[in-house]
Amino acid sequence: MEVQVVTVSTDHPHEIREGRSAHGLQALMLSDPDLVVTDAFGLRNQGYHSAPPGDDTEVLPVPTSLLVDRQGKVLWMDKSENYQRRSGPEVVRAALREHLD
Amino acid sequence: MNSTPEAATEKSRSKKLGTILGLVAFAIAVATVALWSRQIDQVAIPENRAFFVAVFLAAAALGITAFVAGTRWFGGLAAVVAIFLGSLLLLTVAISRQEVAAEAIQVGDVIPHFTSVDEHGQPFDSSSLQGHILLIKFFRAHW
Repeated sequence: MEVQVVTVSTDHPHEIREGRSAHGLQALMLSDPDLVVTDAFGLRNQGYHSAPPGDDTEVLPVPTSLLVDRQGKVLWMDKSENYQRRSGPEVVRAALREHLD
Repeated sequence: MNSTPEAATEKSRSKKLGTILGLVAFAIAVATVALWSRQIDQVAIPENRAFFVAVFLAAAALGITAFVAGTRWFGGLAAVVAIFLGSLLLLTVAISRQEVAAEAIQVGDVIPHFTSVDEHGQPFDSSSLQGHILLIKFFRAHW
């Protein structure tokens, strides 16, 4: 079963291109520096904003993964409660098995 | 006369202790930062960060205690580094909380239609995703 991976971040297009050669991710990667898509999903971080020095983003999305069915309905969602933690690939795989098998 | 042999010995002993504390604080701070950085790199920071918070606090506290006891110059330098690292990492833990607004998307909702730009700067319309199973990942940035 084919799953289309789509990523959304505040990276500008050139930053996405530069990063892709490093991580080799095969996904549709969208550039959302003004958080238009992030706000459409309501995932703008309401907490304290932190970024490395020199980064000009004023706010970032909450790291979130969503599994969406063919009708556009969200089947599963994983939101980070703090930016130092992410769910690993095994969590995503388990969600895929649970909801798509 | 304040400077007696006993006072001098006591001061020397205190400095020795302070120096050791400073070096121990430094070792704890550096080792914990190395472990913390590796965990960050592997996206494996535990949900309960109490252990790390306790160790950062201990490193900073030991560094401060070293100064109170008095140290030799290298002990003082080590203590400063320990205090800095301990405090800095405590700060990163304190500001790491993520929170969305009440109206954020939830399981069961239908995702909104949206337009954006891809990595080549070309317009993108989410209508092209209809009929596909999607894994959508929002992340902070490349750094």
